[in-house]
This record gives sequence, structure tokens and C-alpha cells, in this order.
Amino acid sequence: MAWVIGVDVGGTFTDFHAYDDASGRTHVHKTPSTPDDPARAVLAGLETLAAAEDIDLADVARLSHGTTVATNALIQGRGKRVALVTTQGFRDLLEIGRQIRPHMFDFQKDYPPPLVPREFRLEAAERVLADGSVYRALEEGEITRVVEAVRESGAASVAICFLFAFVNPAHERMLRDALQAALPALEISISSDVQPEFREYERLSTTVLNAYLQPVMTGYVSAFESGLARRAPSASLGINQSAGGLMSPARARELPIRTALSGPAAGAVGAIHAAGLAGEANVVTLDMGGTSADVCMIRQGRAEMTFERWIEGYPARVASVDINAVGAGGGSIAWFARDGLMKVGPRSAGAAPGPACYGQGGTEPTVTDANLALGRLSPAGLLGGGMAMDIAAARASLAPAAERLGLSVERTAEGVIGIVVANMVRALRAISVERGHDPRDFVLLPFGGAGALHASDVARALGVGRFVVPPAPGILCAKGLVVSDLSESFVASSLTALKPENEGEIAVVLADLAARAEAWFAAEAVPAAARELRVTLDMRYIGQNYELGVEIGAADAAAPGVAALSAHFFAAHELSYGYHNPEDPIEIVNFRARAVGRLERPPEPEIAPAADPAAPVASHRPVIFADGVAHEAEVIERTALRPGHEVAGPAVIEQLDATTLLHPGDRLRVDEALNLIVEVGT
Amino acid sequence: MSDTDTDIDPITLEILHNGLRSVTDESYIAITKAAYSTNIKERRDHSTAIMDRTGRLIVQAENSLPIHLASMLGLMECLLAKFPLAEVEEGDIFVANDPYQAGGTHLPDVNLAMPIFAEGRLLGFVCNLAHHADIGGMAPGSMAGGMSEIYQEGLRIPVVKLFRRGELVQDMLDILLLNVRVPEERRGDYYAQIAACRLGARRMAELVERHGPDRLEAAFEMILERTEARLRSAILEIPDGTYAFQDVLDNDGMGTSDIPIAVTVTISGDDARFDFAGTGPQVRGNVNVTMNATQSAVYYTLKGMLDPDIPNNHGLIRSVEITAPAGTIVNANFPSAVAGRANTSQRIIDVLIGALAQALPEAAVGAANGANTTAVFFGEDPRGGGSYLYLETLGGGFGGRATKDGKDGVQVHITNTSNLPVEAIEMEYPLMVESYGLIPDSGGAGTYRGGMGLRRVIRPLGHETVFSGMGERFRHHPWGIFGGEAGGTGRFALRGANGAEEALDDKPSGVRFGPDQAVVVETPGAGGYGPPEARDSTALAADRRGGKFTEDYMARHYPATGDGE
Repeated sequence: MAWVIGVDVGGTFTDFHAYDDASGRTHVHKTPSTPDDPARAVLAGLETLAAAEDIDLADVARLSHGTTVATNALIQGRGKRVALVTTQGFRDLLEIGRQIRPHMFDFQKDYPPPLVPREFRLEAAERVLADGSVYRALEEGEITRVVEAVRESGAASVAICFLFAFVNPAHERMLRDALQAALPALEISISSDVQPEFREYERLSTTVLNAYLQPVMTGYVSAFESGLARRAPSASLGINQSAGGLMSPARARELPIRTALSGPAAGAVGAIHAAGLAGEANVVTLDMGGTSADVCMIRQGRAEMTFERWIEGYPARVASVDINAVGAGGGSIAWFARDGLMKVGPRSAGAAPGPACYGQGGTEPTVTDANLALGRLSPAGLLGGGMAMDIAAARASLAPAAERLGLSVERTAEGVIGIVVANMVRALRAISVERGHDPRDFVLLPFGGAGALHASDVARALGVGRFVVPPAPGILCAKGLVVSDLSESFVASSLTALKPENEGEIAVVLADLAARAEAWFAAEAVPAAARELRVTLDMRYIGQNYELGVEIGAADAAAPGVAALSAHFFAAHELSYGYHNPEDPIEIVNFRARAVGRLERPPEPEIAPAADPAAPVASHRPVIFADGVAHEAEVIERTALRPGHEVAGPAVIEQLDATTLLHPGDRLRVDEALNLIVEVGT
Repeated sequence: MSDTDTDIDPITLEILHNGLRSVTDESYIAITKAAYSTNIKERRDHSTAIMDRTGRLIVQAENSLPIHLASMLGLMECLLAKFPLAEVEEGDIFVANDPYQAGGTHLPDVNLAMPIFAEGRLLGFVCNLAHHADIGGMAPGSMAGGMSEIYQEGLRIPVVKLFRRGELVQDMLDILLLNVRVPEERRGDYYAQIAACRLGARRMAELVERHGPDRLEAAFEMILERTEARLRSAILEIPDGTYAFQDVLDNDGMGTSDIPIAVTVTISGDDARFDFAGTGPQVRGNVNVTMNATQSAVYYTLKGMLDPDIPNNHGLIRSVEITAPAGTIVNANFPSAVAGRANTSQRIIDVLIGALAQALPEAAVGAANGANTTAVFFGEDPRGGGSYLYLETLGGGFGGRATKDGKDGVQVHITNTSNLPVEAIEMEYPLMVESYGLIPDSGGAGTYRGGMGLRRVIRPLGHETVFSGMGERFRHHPWGIFGGEAGGTGRFALRGANGAEEALDDKPSGVRFGPDQAVVVETPGAGGYGPPEARDSTALAADRRGGKFTEDYMARHYPATGDGE
């Protein structure tokens, strides 16, 4: 008997998904988060879950954790003092960045201030050139001087970022070793370890973020580990990374920047799992909550990855699932701009005061109020949620807008939803085009509290024909943690022209990446059969300054030749830009490898199919879908649905953590894994 | 939803407008991704737009540069004047860049326009513009000073067809490419622009299919009406009156110095008039500005001071009246040189802010670095690989604001292009960047101080390089406002082997030097806001602690507060 538990700490709730591989039992649990000390909610929730479901915590084999500790520390500015050492002549780079303003026309808008104030930004006399040769050596006396300056700064952690350290890390390592010897309590991040790749500002910013987060993460993980050891001594702890996949607590202390998107990445893993069970390989996820919606494209069963991210206003180069946030959620507020047009979001009523219908003091109309006014949400609130919703308050909040527009409250409510959907669709389109895809070739997978409620509208506006709602859309992130694997990313940055005489050099770099991956597999005790290594090359035409990540498949002994690599690049270029020039010379900028240690995945429980395809209807209620016309919609409880059940829209499927809306013409069937598969009507 | 239904409620309009914005967003991304040159890919020196059939701007991509708005409008005006509608055919793509024949603002900005047809009739155009890193002419990069006629600045392209009914006019492309340096890179950039036109046209076709052409056209008109109403409602809040201001450009690099730029703004109800009478005559050097670029500067300033999120479209344009005497530096006649027009545009904006500050003190800012400091390096790569051309424009200070300091080391106002990473420069070009930082004491003192200028030192490795540059506010300081003090000026210098710096001209051309020397580029800072004696003590402490200001400077500019900190 062994339990695997996924725990996702979100801004509002901490979600649990527990699975016992011996009995097949599954339990879910939700408890309010404790942002001042997130571990408290996790540990207390674990005990509550154990007591309620009669789980012996001694039987927990693995606890997979999605955490917002890193982003919260940035939002709340809780990090300690950081010192920075750069190449001489470049200490202001952190502040200059790309010399741009965040908004073209807004005189008042600024980027957040640099995480290291100027007085703690130090310079070291040293210089490496583009080919890795040392132009100016880092001398002993200089090292001593810098070590003293760092000591005097009183910093808890230090970031070191030298020019071209991704080609030749010797100087960064020399300084690190000297600092370590002199100041053993100091936490150190060097750019050639954190993210050894080209473009100094982004590498610098990433290294500084990492250094800022190190003391925070060390404190959190240590407290968490000891708390967990007392309660569940056999549980191994895995921390989810932004790229999906778990890492050890020790690794999380070294590279906390990799956890910045821990929770959303788990959602993508959960979505891939659910889509796989539904037989779908190409999926767009729509994780819509109270304030924003996260969108991610999954192709051939794998989430698209990105290496460029903004984390709380700071750029970071770190492997992460390519998730984009759109300012559209249930709490998004409808308002009028000077042009007299109604806009929705990005401002949100949040959890407090919340939408007007929550009766907690909110008076502005939100997306949730509009859904309630149209009958799309149940006036009884979420099933079993215990919180009734005030329809009168929802309508009252919409009334001023309706009056201003000269429309009925219902038509205004439709407008609020229409606009929030248009915002999501515009963002979805930009995201897919940027990645070279047509969203119409994808299936929509909504989750989060509000995703399934808007899925049919979004699918229609995007031209997507089908959407899939997983069994527990509200806690898909926690489920994703249960099915997550171990993983680690490696990168080598080495500008290499793609021509036959460089094949040897390419093979050497790839072999080195493979060796580093082997060492990691060994350290994590991943059995041979569970190892997977995938290689991606960032390639471009010589002269371009923007790379395409080109996946060249599983790494093995035989390095691919120039012809094969070119073919991969052409295909990727064609996909992204719609053309390629077979004659133009190509170069490789970064070599990336992602090692995955597959963990044993709990099998999916088998569920007895429905005897009769007609789904049990709990009740009916009038719901407005379009043009102000109310349809008598079937109301169905999700828990009553079994594989094989079918429902024809108009209908509302209600469950503990979400509501699924079927427009007239939509057709739903339930698959073996209890996913709702909805064919969107035309 | 029927095709003939042109009665659009405000909600549907917002949704339609979103669909149109999506088209310009996606074309914009397509150019960023597919272009070859760093100027476009990394610095995002490009824009995309949708025009209606009469050439009115309906939607411009959000990230587009303000100055690009002008040349797109100019292009459409010239295109429609030159080509009868019968000669505008499906699959055509027009190309143009000339400021006098094709409505451009300077030659490196190459415009493409592709007509969109619906049910056999012209609905409008998708347009895009990209700043090409070279368009030929006397100096590499086509941006250097020292030219007196447009002919010296590069290849002039009137409005011509690059594609005819879907077929590439190869002869035309051959001419375009023969006349530029590094033609392979230019070809890649043209392809990126062409791909963006096609993507835009495809997406417009989908919108037509969904909504019908009549409804879309009705939406075009309503979008403009709404924007006009939005801008006018903001103008209404400006106190009525007449507000004048004047400043000078350093020089044109060809013998004319202290060129005045003057504006008188008259606000009356929701009407705003901008008159540039009093501005100096056009000059021999390349800092002249055509009327449409001057208009861009006005729209930019109004957005910045009144409503930054107001959409860029023709509704803005028809809400204000702008006049400037022909033959002045802000409304130049053929054949004056215009490549350096961004510097002048920056100054026009400073002048506009100076005038409107009298009516809108909360929204005003101190004078910014007022330049688009440009540095161009051209040479033969000693590692093999032929000749190279590297162009960069550097930011500087942004003025102090009503409630906070100005910004340090940023591109200001009319431009917002990013720098190129030092590691990218050194991997691609035989150059070494020795240092890159903020210039101490360059931000003008004030209750809220002005932003700081940038200093960058570049040395050629193993060969001689040829340096050309373009600087402004190298003599006339960026002024402070409401008692704020002026910021520092910029300069170019050549640093010798012994470390001594020899000053260069502020618009140097063809400066050849080798590896034992380095070019020093220093950009201007910006003016402060409010009297220095009102500066908060915490802010003063931070100015000192970080070393952004020297003790000496602090003692001279904040004497009342200098002790004890």
C-alpha cells in the first residue's frame, strides 16, 4: 500500500490529489492557502486529509509539490540583500536592460526597480572574448578585493555574471570558489551554472533572480522537509519545475528560479494526461480562474516549451512550459473607456470584494455576475460549495451599464461575456500564430474554476470544433503533480555553423550533454528503462538574431549529420514562418537536452459504463445563450455521469469545482476516463 | 448575423475591433519572427496596420512605433493618387519609401501595402513598414550626417508594385537589392514583410467571411468616430487658452546651428490647434522632417499626456488641426535630406510638452535626451566573412515627472527600440564593447530628477573600422521644468592608446580608426521636475549611495540639503 500525493499551492487554495496504487483509491481535498507560511496549509491539510480518508501517512511514498514560494517572494519583496559582480564596465547593465520603456506612450509606467541597488553592484577586472579566449585575466589580487567588497556588502547571496561566461566559465568559477572559501554562509549563483547561454542581460537577470530567491527557497524547503519527515517519514519530496517534471529539494535550493511557474506547469502536465486519456494529442489548454486565464499549446502530447519568460516584471531565461496569462477571469470587471465602448478586465474584483453576486461588498459588474444573470451559473452557487449567489445583486451591478448602452440587462451580460471571450481569443490567436500554429487544428481543454463555463463560447469564436473537460477541472494541477516525472534540463551555448566540417564538433557537444544527463540519471537512481533524453537545438539562419528551438528527437550514440539537422530546421522554419531558404547558411546557437526519469504512474481506475446513454437529469432551468432568448436547459450533476452517457445542449453540468455549459447544438459524451467530450454545434 | 446588417451595437463593435487588432498583432509577430536583420528582430523597428479603401488608418499594431504611423498614412495617400482603382488588383503588393513621392519619413523605412478584396471590391489594405539597416546611399546604414540632398541618402522608391496579381516582379526586387549593402539580409527582411502582408490579407478574408464586408466597413467608420470622441473628450478637459514654447536643435551638421522649433497650441473646448509658425527654415543637413512626421509627434504627445491607451487611427488625426509653414524644418520641401529626422521629432515633442505643461502640469515631464543618438560601424571582418555594417541607436535620460524621477538610460518618446546584446555584437562583428553604463551627474537636479544618459565605449578588434554618428542635445542641455534643472549633454569622442579622449563632431561621418583606439558615445541625460530643494532626503541619500551623483554635484545642486546625509 503506497500513496502518491500531489499538493499544489495556489494563491487562494491549496489543492491535494491523493492516489493509492494498491487499492486504486483516489481522494481530493482543498484547503485555504496560508500565504505568510505556505507550508502550514500543506502540512495541516495533509493531516486533515489523512484523518478524513483514513490514510496512514507512513504509507505515503511520494509527495509532489507545486509551489508559489518564488513568485510570492518577488511580489512581496521578501528576498534578502543580494550583491552582484559583473565584468568591469557593466555594473549598470542590470538597470539598463534593453534600454526600452514598458509602454510606448505612457510617461508614467516603469519596470520594477533592479533587485540589486547600485551600491551592491560590484565589478571585477576581467574579460573573456566571444571565442572563449581570455583578453584580461582575473587576477588573485582582484579576487581578494572583490571577496572583501562582497563581505562588506553584508549580502545574504551573490550573483556573478561575466561576459561570455557561457563560453568560458573559468573566471566565474574562480571567484565562486574564493567566495565559498571565505564566506561559507553566503549563497552563490553563477551565470554559467544557472543558465549558461548567450545574451548577457537576460542571463544576468536570471542569475540575479536566482540569487534573490536562494535564501527564501532554502528556508522554505528545509522547514518543509523537516515538517514532512515528522509526519510522513517514507515520503520522498519532489518539487515541480516550470518546465514540468520534478526536482529534488537540494536542486530546488540551488536553482529556485526553476520553480517560478511550478503550479501552472503542473496544470499543463495534468492537461496532457487528461488529453491523452481522451485520445487527443493536440490541445490548447484554457485554465481560467478568478483574475486571469493561462493558455498553453500541447502538440503531439507534449507541452510547447519556452526559454523566455517575464517573472513579476523581470526577464528570465529558464526552461518553462510555454504558458501565457491573459487578463480574463471570472472576477474581471466590465467598464467604459472614454470612447464609450465597454471593456472587460484586466482589472479584477479578485477574491475580495469579489463579484457583486458574492454579496461581500462588490458593486461593479464582473464576468461571474454576467454568467449568473444569464442563468449559466447556478443561483445556488457551486455544487456543495455552500455559498449562495445573489442574482439581484448581479443584475443590479449590470444595470448601469445596460442603461448606458440602451440594452437589456441580459443583452449587456451577453456583451460582457462576448468581450471577455474576444479578449481570450485574441490572445490565444497571437500565442498560436507566434508559435506557427492554427488554433483550429487543436482541441480546447478548459480547466480551472471558470474554464469549462466559457469553453463553448471560446471554441466557437476560435473555430475549434471540440473541447474536453477533465474529471476534476478545479484541481487539475494537483492531479498533474501525481502524474509528473523527474526531469532536468541541460544547455550548452556554442555558436556553430551547420556545415559538414563541424559535424565532429557538434557530436562532441551532444556527447557532453548526454554525459551530463547520464550523471544526473545515476545521481537520481533512475532505472535504465525509465530514462528518456530529448535534444533540442536553437538554430537560425546566419544573420538572423532569433532562434528556433528545433527538436531533433531522442539523443543516442550516433549524432545526426548536417543534412538531417538542416531538414529539421527547414521544417521548423516552415512551420513558424511559412517559408525556408534551402541555400542559406544555418548555425546552431544553443544545444539543449531534457532528461526525464519516468516515475511509475498510477493506473487509471476502471469505471463501469452507463447502462443507458441518457444522462440522469437533476432539474431544468432557463439559460440565455444568445440574443436574449432563454432556453430550458437540462441541469446535470457531474458525479452522476458514467462512461457512455450522452447529453445534448442546451445543458449545464455542475460539479464541486466547476460548471460546464453546453450551448444549443453542442453534444457531449462521457469517455472511459470520465472526461466530458463536447462537439461544438455550428 | 446577416451580411447587410450594418447596425452595430457597441458590444459587437468592441468584438469586431478586437478581431481587427488581432490581424495587426499577428502580422507584427510574423515580421519579428521572420526578418533577418537585428534591427527588426531584436529592436522591433517595424509596424503593421490596416487601412480602409480611402487610405484612412483603421488599426495599427499596438507595439508599432509612433513615427511609423506617419509614413503609412503618407504611403496610402500617394498610392491612391497614383493608381486608379482599376489598377489595384488582388494579389498586388506595393512597395515605397520616398518621403516626397511616397509619403515616407526617411528612406530606410520601407513600406509594403497589399489590397484586400471582398466580393470583388476593394475593402482596404494591410500595410507594414520595417526599418532596413541599409538602403544604399553615401554612408553605410543610410543614417549618417553630412548629406544635403535626399539622393545621397539612399535608394528612392516611389509607389511601385513588387507583386502583380500574386506574381513577384523580379526586376523590381533586383533593383531594390542591387542598391543596398548586405543584400542577402535585405532580401530576408523583404520576405518577412511579404509574408506578413499575406498573413494579414488571409486573416482579413476570414473576418470578411465571418462578418461580411458591409458590416466591416461600417465598423471602420465607427471605430474612427469612437476614437475621435475619446480624444475630444480628453481635450475638453484641458483649460482653454493659448500655450507657446520654443527650443532649438543643436545643428544640422552642415553649417546651420541653433535651429528654432516653435509651437503655439490653442485649446478651445474640444478643439486643439497646433501651429508651428516661428520654426526655422529647412536646412541642408539631414535633420529635416516632412509634415506627416510632425503630425506623428503631435499625436504621440497628446496620447502621452492625455490618454496613453487611445487607439492609433484616423480618428486621432481628424480631431486636431496641425499647421506648419511649408519650407520649414518641420514641413520640409523636396529635395531636403531627412535621414536624421528622429532627432528633430524628439525635439518637436519636447517643445509640445513644454507648451502643454502650462495647461497640464501633472502630465508634463522635463525635456528628455531629445535625441536618437546613432552610431554606425562599417568595415571588413578580419576573420573572413566580408564586410559588416553595424548600426545602433542609444537611449538616454527621460525627464523627471510630477510624482517620480525620470527614467535612466532608455529610448524616449518617438522610439523604443531595444539595444543589441554585447555578446551578440561581439559574436557577429569584429568589435569589442569595453563598457556600457550610466553617466554620473547626467540627470538634471529636481524634486524629481531627470534620467541619466548612457556611455558606451567600442573598439575594433584586429582591423580598422569606419565610424559615423548622429548626435543631438550635444550643446543645448535638456531643460528642466517647474524649477527642475537641466540634464547633461551628449558627446562623441575618440579615445587614444594613452587613454586621452579627443572630441569628435556631433554628426561625424567616415571616422576611420584602428584597434588601439576606441569610440566613446555619451548620450544626453534629461531635465528634472520641480525645484531641487524640495527633493526628499531618502531620494538624496540614494543618489549618493549608489554613486549616480558625485559629492561635488550634490553639493552644488542640492546645497540646502547637502550636509549631514
